[in-house]
Amino acid sequence: MIETPIENGLPLISMMLSTLAIGTLLIWIAPHRFKARHLALISVLITLAFTLAILAGFDPSTSAFQFVEKHSWIPTLQINYFVGVDGISVLFLPLTSLLFLGIILSSWTRIRAMPRLYFSLLLVLLAATLGTFCALDTILFFLFWETTLIPVYFLVSHWGHGPRRRYAASKYTLHMLASGIPLLLAFVLLAINHADITASGQDYLLNFDYPTLIDTPVSATLQTALFFLFLLGFAPKVPLFPFHSWLPTIAIDGSGTTAAWVTGLKLGVYGLIRYLVPLTPDATVNFHWLLAGLGTLGMIYGALMALAQTNLRSMLAYASVSHVGLVVLSLASLTLSGIQGSLFQLVNFTIVAGGLYLLSGFLHHRTGSTESLSLGGLATTKPLFSAFFFLLCIAGLGIPGTNGFPAEFLMIVSALETHTGAGLAALGIMVISAAYVLNLFRKAFLGPARYGLIIQAEDLRPRELAIAISLAVFVLVLGLFPGLVLDLMKVSAEAWVARVNGG
Amino acid sequence: MIKTLVALIPLLPWLVGGWIAVARVGRFSINERKIGHLSTLSALVVLLLILGLDVIALIQGLPGQVDVGTWFESDIYHVPISFTLDWLSLGHGTLVALLMTISMRFSTNYLHHEAGMMRFMMVMNLFAGSMMLIILSGNAVLTFVGWELAGVSSFLLIGYALDRPIATRNAQRAMVTNRIGDAGFILGIFLAYKWMGSVSWDQIHTLELGNDLISQTSLIACGFMLAALAKSAQFPFSPWISRALDGPTPSSAIFYGALMVHAGLYLTLRLAPLLVQEPWIMTLLVIVGLLTAFYGWISGLVQSDVKSALIFSTISQVGLMFFMCGMGWFTLAAWAMAAHASWRAWQLFHAPSLGFMTSKPAQPVPRWLSNQHWLYTAAQQRFWLEQIGDMLFTHSARKMAQDTRMFEERVVDRLIGVPSGESDTISSLVRWQAMKFEGGDHRKGHIGYGQGVFGKLIQTVATLLHWVEKHMVLKGTGENFLSGLQMLGNQLLRIDLILSRPRYLIFMIVITFVIIL
Repeated sequence: MIETPIENGLPLISMMLSTLAIGTLLIWIAPHRFKARHLALISVLITLAFTLAILAGFDPSTSAFQFVEKHSWIPTLQINYFVGVDGISVLFLPLTSLLFLGIILSSWTRIRAMPRLYFSLLLVLLAATLGTFCALDTILFFLFWETTLIPVYFLVSHWGHGPRRRYAASKYTLHMLASGIPLLLAFVLLAINHADITASGQDYLLNFDYPTLIDTPVSATLQTALFFLFLLGFAPKVPLFPFHSWLPTIAIDGSGTTAAWVTGLKLGVYGLIRYLVPLTPDATVNFHWLLAGLGTLGMIYGALMALAQTNLRSMLAYASVSHVGLVVLSLASLTLSGIQGSLFQLVNFTIVAGGLYLLSGFLHHRTGSTESLSLGGLATTKPLFSAFFFLLCIAGLGIPGTNGFPAEFLMIVSALETHTGAGLAALGIMVISAAYVLNLFRKAFLGPARYGLIIQAEDLRPRELAIAISLAVFVLVLGLFPGLVLDLMKVSAEAWVARVNGG
Repeated sequence: MIKTLVALIPLLPWLVGGWIAVARVGRFSINERKIGHLSTLSALVVLLLILGLDVIALIQGLPGQVDVGTWFESDIYHVPISFTLDWLSLGHGTLVALLMTISMRFSTNYLHHEAGMMRFMMVMNLFAGSMMLIILSGNAVLTFVGWELAGVSSFLLIGYALDRPIATRNAQRAMVTNRIGDAGFILGIFLAYKWMGSVSWDQIHTLELGNDLISQTSLIACGFMLAALAKSAQFPFSPWISRALDGPTPSSAIFYGALMVHAGLYLTLRLAPLLVQEPWIMTLLVIVGLLTAFYGWISGLVQSDVKSALIFSTISQVGLMFFMCGMGWFTLAAWAMAAHASWRAWQLFHAPSLGFMTSKPAQPVPRWLSNQHWLYTAAQQRFWLEQIGDMLFTHSARKMAQDTRMFEERVVDRLIGVPSGESDTISSLVRWQAMKFEGGDHRKGHIGYGQGVFGKLIQTVATLLHWVEKHMVLKGTGENFLSGLQMLGNQLLRIDLILSRPRYLIFMIVITFVIIL
């Protein structure tokens, strides 16, 4: 049973979302002497303050939804504006805001064309992402989920780096639009199921409330159908093989900032954790092998692809496909350590993968390329940049002392526990991941500096240094004190596991 | 009191290393010599701390297992911060601290005014803390932390000359080889959790003997021994260490002469109570130890530079120590390790000045070896271990990666059905004109134009029906049909050829295993 949601005084989540809406509006209506980037920065800082307030007020000793707000929205269909956070989602709010802070700061002087549009799209994207994490009404979730598409499309197609940015944008949008259909269908099916079960007399009430739906019994056949619909709906966003090919395209042709959002925030995995598993627990138990198999396949495939890349950013993209495969594999173990490891790794994605893309954005800005052939010798000419990049790389490898270790450790051991064969494959991928990361790091950063552009380019500038340092601090603090993350999500994760295993 | 003391030992060098990093990022102006002295001082304090522990142990008896707290936990995976203080760890720890102090002091002068001196001292401090953690840690996970950090510092120091491609390549090789061992380590940790419920070193050997063919203890031991053999550069993992001498002399002395190369052996000594329960693991250690000793001895004889000769002699000595462990002479191995570490460190510190100290020319290769041509060649080529390893793993991994890339471009992208990048859409007037004049729009022959699996499916069906009608019904000839079949046959043959390559055969077998398990 789900615990009763808790309302905490101020409607912080709504205030957070409306800050962004106001910020977006202000960017368009404010007089010209207010620069768009300043307004965007202020809005994100206020949003960050709200998310931190939510984090501070969050009570980790209960698995109930907190900071809940519920207002009727479309009464005829029983659709509500219903938001709240629990231990699974609460951490993603400040992390998302921080990532956007980094994104805005790293595009501070880069955006020459249409800065108002650029920064307002960023704010819309931030609001939609935060909304996705907070939404407790399935339709509201769907709305936020699909809203993320629009800003990403324009951000990639207008401010992308590559010559194929239009193509990258439409490839992404087509993938996501197609996957939205099964998702919506699944939510409607759930609502109808609830209406069928609770139908009494003439009341035939649809229901889109997440906490209510979770306690509504769903028949085995319907669960299977829902499982596959959810899987189809979330797989491209995760991304799971074979729906992953949009990610490298965006990583190469999009700007570093969009790539940071795309790889740093794994909304798809969040969808799996929040919707697929709790809403179809029996089907998940039956088809855990499918999840684990897709995860393993993605893990191996991504690692092999990463080995064949010559471009830093596409290597990072495939590395993230490989890592996310491991996340899904450990999720499929349906154990406490598995889910905690996965959630921890999602946190790491924001810091490490997002951070690496921000840094490679800096690099691209200086050299015009992240192709390893046209780099080389960065470490001797840009020691600070290389040091931070290396730190994030080894965090991705799961070296102890960085935040990668506790997550990877928990994920691998729980995979070994339930899917021994796949766990052994994960151990093998550990070796390959070291090979592809170090190989490309060596090609791009070590060796003699061959090109004038690389010798002349500046090392990190103060603003960039500030971003890099804060990333490094997160990497080390979470790596040395993993309890900070694990304890916060513990009770909710336990409830999650109990729901799957206890029925 | 003991808790604070013992926790300070790995922390102190790390703090100094961290401070150097902060100073570098913050661009504080600090004197190189000051950094050197600070590092030496911290190593000295560590030495005093551990001597203090020794004194406490002598007066009050051994503290044994010291629990400081919990690092993190989830489910059954409880990771404590604990230290094992027995004669093995205290004795070896004292020696390590002493050697670290000497090498820090040595580096202060040796690397004075070298580019990257600060980086060197930072990594040395990182390594000092990690090595002390490996020695003192009371559980497998904490040892693994030291183990990995020592690996990273080794990577950074082999590739110390950042602009030398060979050095950085060797650094990469060392790290990737070590990762194989690390995978084994994680496996060992997991099995210890699963079957023993704990990763504390004092509890890892208290499992009742299993009756299975391959007992649980032996699987646990296998995982840890894989790590130990890779770290100590034993057969067949040896090649990485002979390439690892590209770093500055003090780091070579400490890493590959004295300390890190013995880490694997130290792990073996730690696990002695577990290993003695498994005769076949012991036998394996004997075989591997002897093979390595032979490999190191023969290859060492033909080396022409002092560092390579020393490193081969090192691995052959370490091989002998593994042999001793296999025979059950753990105490002897521990003493041999201590003696060898001191002696080898001294030798390697002297290596750069050897040219000034010796007057006689180097000894030639012994006559019996130079007469055996095949053995001589094999020794020169270091028994082709590296080439064999590359052929088996590196090349096949790389080829498989390339094949995957082809697969992605040719199959996955098309199957998903989003328009391809270089799609057939007419993007400009020029292109349209080109298409018009160069043989027209090639789409004309098709029935419809579909995208994606379903679109293509419908299109194919339509085309097929159209083709059947045109060729079979209207013309009634079998010629096209035959060539079509031939094409299909060729395609199948290609797939078959790809699958029959050894790497895919192995891959299939691996997949089968994965599914069965």
